[in-house]
Amino acid sequence: MGFLKVEDLKVHFPIKGGIFGRTVDHVKAVDGVSFSLEKGKTYGLVGESGSGKSTTGRAIIGLNHITGGNVFFEDKEITGVRKAKSDIRKDIQMIFQDPYSSLNPKKRVLDIVAEPLRNFENLSRKEERVRVQELLELVGLSPESILKYPHEFSGGQRQRIGVARAVALKPKLIIADEPVSALDVSVQAQVLNFMNEIQKELDLTYMFISHDLGVIKHMCDQIGIMYKGRFVEEGTATEIFENPQHIYTKRLVAAIPDIDPRKREEMKKFRAEVNTEYEQAYNDYFNEEGLAYSLKPISETHLVALPEKG
Amino acid sequence: MEANSANVELQSKTVTKTPSGFSVVWREIVRDKLALLSLIFLVGISAFVYGTAIVLDQEEIVKVDLFAIYEAPGEEYILGTDYGGRDIFGQLIIGTRNSLSIAILVTVMTGFIGVVFGLVAGFFGGHIDNIMMRVLDFFNVLPFMMIVIVFVAIVPKYSVWTFSLIMTAFLWMGIARLIRSRALQEKELDYIHAAKTLGTSNIKIIFKHVLPNISSLVIVTMTLNLAANIGLESGLSFLGFGFPESTPSLGTLLSYATNPQTLEYRWWIWVPASVMILLLMLAVNNVGTALRRATDARQRRG
Repeated sequence: MGFLKVEDLKVHFPIKGGIFGRTVDHVKAVDGVSFSLEKGKTYGLVGESGSGKSTTGRAIIGLNHITGGNVFFEDKEITGVRKAKSDIRKDIQMIFQDPYSSLNPKKRVLDIVAEPLRNFENLSRKEERVRVQELLELVGLSPESILKYPHEFSGGQRQRIGVARAVALKPKLIIADEPVSALDVSVQAQVLNFMNEIQKELDLTYMFISHDLGVIKHMCDQIGIMYKGRFVEEGTATEIFENPQHIYTKRLVAAIPDIDPRKREEMKKFRAEVNTEYEQAYNDYFNEEGLAYSLKPISETHLVALPEKG
Repeated sequence: MEANSANVELQSKTVTKTPSGFSVVWREIVRDKLALLSLIFLVGISAFVYGTAIVLDQEEIVKVDLFAIYEAPGEEYILGTDYGGRDIFGQLIIGTRNSLSIAILVTVMTGFIGVVFGLVAGFFGGHIDNIMMRVLDFFNVLPFMMIVIVFVAIVPKYSVWTFSLIMTAFLWMGIARLIRSRALQEKELDYIHAAKTLGTSNIKIIFKHVLPNISSLVIVTMTLNLAANIGLESGLSFLGFGFPESTPSLGTLLSYATNPQTLEYRWWIWVPASVMILLLMLAVNNVGTALRRATDARQRRG
C-alpha cells in the first residue's frame, strides 16, 4: 500500500558497565515510531539534538541495528536487511550530514560517484565515465572535475558530489540526513533548490531529516516532530506550522525567527507566553518519564501525542 | 543523436589521464634529492649484491685459508681477510644479500599478516575483534628469545627462509595492533557508512576504502620495520643466535668485533659491515619518508 512504511520502530543501544561489560541499561534512541511516506513527496523529520531523528533514518537504510518493529518498502519487508547487493541498497540511498567525512579523501570524484555504478551495473570504463560526467552536470559541477580529489572542492560542491553519488543508481527514496546543516546559508539555498529540481526530474521521494524548521518548511509536504525517541506530532506542513497542537511543537514553531523588526517586541512576548504555557502544561503532555504519549488522530492527516484523558 | 555522441567523444578525449600511483611516487622522490640519492643507493647496492652473489661462490668464500689469516686490505684482498683467512669483501657481498633478503622477507610477511589481521579485527569489531585480539595476546606473551634459541638448536638446516619464518611468527603483532586501532577509528567515518549504503561488500570496503586511507601508516610502519629488521638479524647474529659462520651475514661480520684485538687493530673486518648497516637503514628511512608524503595528497611536494 504505502511507499515506505515504518511500524513501531525501536532502536535501543545497550549501555555496558560493570567488570564483565554486562549490559546494564539501554539508551532508547528511537522508541516506537510509526509513519509512512508517499511516493514523490518529501517527509520531514524534525527534532532537537538526540531526539533520534538521524537514528531513525540510519535504521531504515540498515546502518543501525533495529531492536524492534518493522520497515516495509513497496510492501516488501526490509527490516534488518544487511546484504550488500540487494535491491533495497539500490532503491534507497542516503545523503550524509558532513560533506567532509562522507567522501573518501583518497579517491577521485570519478571513483566516488562511480562506486554505486560499479556495484550494481556492468559498465565499460568509457560508459562509466560518461555517466559520471552526466551526473556531475546534473548537480551543477563541471565534468572536468572527475579527476580531482574531494579536498579540492568547497563544502557545497562536496555535498553536490554526495548528491550525485546518491542519485547515480536512480533510487526511489533518498534519506537526507541534515544535508545542509554543515553549509553556510547562501549555499544551503543552492543545494536545497537543486534538490527540489532533481526531485521533480527523477521523481524522487525524500525523507528529510533536519533541526532547521525554516529548511523543513521550505522542503517538506509532511512533517513528523520527534522528541526523546518518540513522535509528538505529525501532520502536513500547514497543519504543523499554522495549527500546532502539542505544547512541544508550539514552542518549536514559536522559536522560528521573524525578520520583521517591528514585530520584535510582539514576538518576544509571544515566546514568553508559549514558554510559560510549556512549563505549566509539561506534566499534562508528557508522562512520568518525560516521554511523549502515543499519537492520536485529531484530523485525517494530523496526529498529536495527547494524553489518554484531556 | 550524431552530435550527442560526438560530444561524448570529445568529452572523454579532453579528460587527461589520471596520474597513476606510481608516477605520483616517482615525482615525489625526484623532488626530494636525499630520497632520490637513497633510492639510487639502495637499488645500486641491491643490484650489485644480488648480481655478484650469483657469480660468487659462497663455498669458496667461506673456505678457511690458513696462509692468509688477518691480511690487511690490499692487492689480493680488497678488504682483507678474517681469522680464517676468508675474504671480507666476498663475505660482505653475500652477507648484505642475506641480511637484506631476511629484512625484506620478514617485513613483507609481517606486514601482510599484520595488515590483514588488524583490518579484519578492527573493521568487524565486537566478538570477532575480541577473539582475534586474544590470539594476538597469546603470541605476544610467548618468550621470543627462548623460542628462537631453541629453534636454532633443533632446526637442522638453517636458511634465510626458515630464519625469516620464525622471525615473522613473532613480529607481526605490533603492526596488527597499530592497524586495528586505525581501522577502528576509520570505520566510524561517514564515507564507510556511505559505501555500505551504496551496496559495497565488506571485503571491498576493507581493502578499497579503509586500506588506502591507512596506507601511509602501513608504509611508514613497514619502512621503519624494514630498517629495524636489518638491525634485528645483525643483533641476533651478534649474540650468536643468528647464522653460523658458514652463512655470512652483516651480523656475523659484526660479531668478529667481540674480539678486542679485532676491534682495535683490524678495523677492516667489522667497519665495512657496520657502515653498510648504517647506510642501508638511513637510505630505507629516507625513501620511506618520501613514500609517506606521496601517499598523502596534501603533503606532496611534487
